[in-house]
Amino acid sequence: MLINTGVPTREQIELRLPSPERRARGPYAMVECFQEIPCNPCSTSCPFDAILPMGDINEIPAIDLDRCTGCGICAGVCPGLAIFIIDESKGDGTASVTIPYEFRPLPEKGEMVRAVNREGDVIGDAVVTRVLLSKKTKTPLVTVRVADEHVHEVRFFNLIDNKTVCDKTSSKIEEEPKTDDTACATDDDEIILCRCEGITLRTIRDLIREGYTTVDEIKRISRAGMGPCQARTCGPLIASEIARMTGQPVAEIQPSAHRAPVKPMPIEFFLGGDSE
Amino acid sequence: MMYKIDLVVIGGGPAGLMAANTAAEAGAEVLLLERDGHLGGQLVKQTHKFFGSEKQHASVRGIDISTMLGDRLDSFGDRATVWKNATAIGFYEDGVITVDHDGVYKKVKPKRVVVATGASEKFLSFPNNDLPGIYGAGAVQTMMNVYGIRPGHRVLMIGAGNIGLIVSYQLMQAGVSVAAIVEGLPKIGGYAVHAGKVRRAGVPILTSHTILRADGQESVERATIARIDRTWNAIPETERTIECDVICISVGLTPLAELLWQAGCEMRYIPALGGSVPLRNDCLETTVKGVYVAGDVTGIEEASAAMVEGHLAGLEAAASLGFKSDSYDAERKDCMEQLTALRSGPTAEKIRTGLACTACL
Ligand SMILES: Cc1cc2nc3c(=O)[nH]c(=O)nc-3n(C[C@H](O)[C@H](O)[C@H](O)COP(=O)(O)OP(=O)(O)OC[C@H]3O[C@@H](n4cnc5c(N)ncnc54)[C@H](O)[C@@H]3O)c2cc1C
Ligand code: SF4
Ligand code: SF4
Repeated sequence: MLINTGVPTREQIELRLPSPERRARGPYAMVECFQEIPCNPCSTSCPFDAILPMGDINEIPAIDLDRCTGCGICAGVCPGLAIFIIDESKGDGTASVTIPYEFRPLPEKGEMVRAVNREGDVIGDAVVTRVLLSKKTKTPLVTVRVADEHVHEVRFFNLIDNKTVCDKTSSKIEEEPKTDDTACATDDDEIILCRCEGITLRTIRDLIREGYTTVDEIKRISRAGMGPCQARTCGPLIASEIARMTGQPVAEIQPSAHRAPVKPMPIEFFLGGDSE
Repeated sequence: MMYKIDLVVIGGGPAGLMAANTAAEAGAEVLLLERDGHLGGQLVKQTHKFFGSEKQHASVRGIDISTMLGDRLDSFGDRATVWKNATAIGFYEDGVITVDHDGVYKKVKPKRVVVATGASEKFLSFPNNDLPGIYGAGAVQTMMNVYGIRPGHRVLMIGAGNIGLIVSYQLMQAGVSVAAIVEGLPKIGGYAVHAGKVRRAGVPILTSHTILRADGQESVERATIARIDRTWNAIPETERTIECDVICISVGLTPLAELLWQAGCEMRYIPALGGSVPLRNDCLETTVKGVYVAGDVTGIEEASAAMVEGHLAGLEAAASLGFKSDSYDAERKDCMEQLTALRSGPTAEKIRTGLACTACL
C-alpha cells in the first residue's frame, strides 16, 4: 500500500490511465497524487482548467484529459513532484516521459541516462530529449525517451558515470539478519539522556527507583536539564521515563518549572543593561 | 530603561512575521524579537516548494516566503522595529519581557504580546546516542541549507514524517547518500508524494523498524536497526547493521512554550499537538489577558497554518488596542475559513483531535 511503501500500487496507476485513443492522440499529464492533502497548486496553475477546481483544498486532483494539452505547467508547479507528462503518440516503439528533476548536475540534451522506476530500480536506458529550466518554479523538467513498454514505469533517472544521485546498489542494506546477540542488549550506561550534562539513563532510572518522580526533583539532584538547552532535549525523555516506571500517564508528570532566563546567562549580563 | 510599545512579537518565523505585519498594517507600533541573526524561523531552511493554496504561498519555496514577509515588514518604516539576535529570556507576570539583545540586557513592557516561538526537536534514547554524527533533522537542515556544510557521506534517517522525508531528499540534493529511512510506525507519516520522491531516488523506507544502537570509535560508523512488533519491542533475529557516518533523528517536534509557562498561561499536555500547549480562545488569546499565541508553539502544524494563525493573532492583538481597520471582519472570517480548510483533510485528523482539547473560555 502507498502509505506503507511510498509507491502507488499498479491498480492506482491503472485507474488513472487515459483511454487508448487519448494516449495515442498526444501528450497528457499523469497526476500521481493519491492522498487527500491540503494542496492545490496543480488545479490553480493549469491554464486550460484541465485539473478541475477543488471545492476543498484536500480533494484528490481530478483531471479532464480532453482539455489537457500536456503543456507541463502543472508538473513544474506541483510541490509533490507528482505530475509527469507522458507522450505515447509517436508510434515508433518509443515514448517520452517528462520528469520534474531537482538534482545537480542536470543531464544534457542527447545524453544517455539509466531509466529508473518508482521503486528506484534501474529498468533500462533512456535518452534525454529536452531539459526545460524555469526561472519561476526553479524545478527543471527533463524529458527522456524510453521504450514504449516502459513509459508507465519510468519516473526517474540516474546519470551515467558516477554522477548518480543515489546508486541503489551502494545503498543496499545488509539483508542478512545479524546474530550477534550483544547487539541488542541495551546498556543503560551507554544511553545519555541529558547531553548537556552527560547524565545517563541508568542514573535517571536509579533516581526514579529511589523515589524522585518529578522532572524538577531529578533536575535538582542530578543537574539533568541545567545545561545550555535547559531541558528542551532531555525534559520530555525524563518525563516519559518517569511515566514508564511509575505507570502514570505522561500528561500527569509535572514538567520542570520554567523560570527566566530561558538560557544560561552570565551574572554580569544582568548587571549591564542598556542605559539609553 | 524600560521600552514601552503597543505590541511585542516574540519569534520571527512565519507566524511571528505575519502577526507583526498584520498588526503594523492595522496601525499598531510593533517590536519583533528574533533570537537568530536573520528572520524566517524554519522557513529559511526550506528550499522545497510548499503545499497549501496560493493564499499561503503554495508552490513557493519556504526561503522565498520568508524574504517576502521580511520585506513587507520593512515597508512599515518606524511603525515596525525588528531586533535580531534578540532572545526573549524572561516573561514576568507583571508583563515585563527581558531580552538579551546582542549581549545587552533590555526590558520591554508592551501592551500586548504575541508569542510565536515555534518548536524544538524531540530526541531519542539509544546506546551511544551521544556519538558525534548523531543530529536532529532540523540541525542537519540548518547545516546544509543555511551554512552550506555537508553533514557527512551516508546518512541513516530515523522517522518518516514529512520532516524526515524532506530532509532525506535535501540530503540527496546536496550529494549525500541516504542509506535508509527507518520508521517505527507501520505506515509512513509524511505525505505520500514526499515519500515517492525519495523512493524513486533509491532510498528504502523501512516501516515498523527502529534503531537499537549506534556504534563507532570516535564518531558514528554504523547503526543497528531491527523490525519491531506492535508494542515497539525488537523482534529477535531481525537485526541488521547499516554502515553510516550520520544518524539523523526526526521523531517530531515539541512546542517551545517556556515563556508561556513563565507568564502564567494555563497549559495542557496534548500528545497530538506535540507536548504542552497553551489554552486559548478563538482570538488566539491565552488565559493571560493580552498574551496571544500563533504557530508551532500552539501545537505542531505547518507553516501554512502558522501564517494564518499569525495573521489572526496580529489582527486581534491590534484590534484589542483599538487598531481595527475596515477589513477587520473580512480578514477574521477569511483566517477562520483558511484554518478550517487546511485542517479538514484526513492527514490533519490528529491536529483536529488535539485542537478540540485546547479551547478555553
Ligand atoms: C524540514 C521541515 C520541512 C517543513 N516543510 C513544510 C512544508 O512543506 N509546508 C509547510 O507548511 N510547513 C513545513 N514545515 C513546518 C514549518 O516550517 C513550521 O510549521 C513553521 O515554520 C512554524 O512557524 P512558527 O513561526 O510557528 O515557528 P518557527 O518557524 O520555528 O519560528 C520561530 C522563531 O522564533 C524564534 N525564537 C524562539 N524562541 C525565541 C525567544 N525566546 N526569543 C526570540 N526569538 C525566539 C526562533 O529563532 C524562530 O525564528 C516544515 C518544517 C520542517 C522542520
Ligand atoms: S499539462 Fe498543462 S494542460 Fe495538462 S493539466 Fe497540466 S497544466 Fe493543465
Ligand atoms: S500540486 Fe501536486 S501534490 Fe499538490 S495536490 Fe496537485 S498533484 Fe497533489
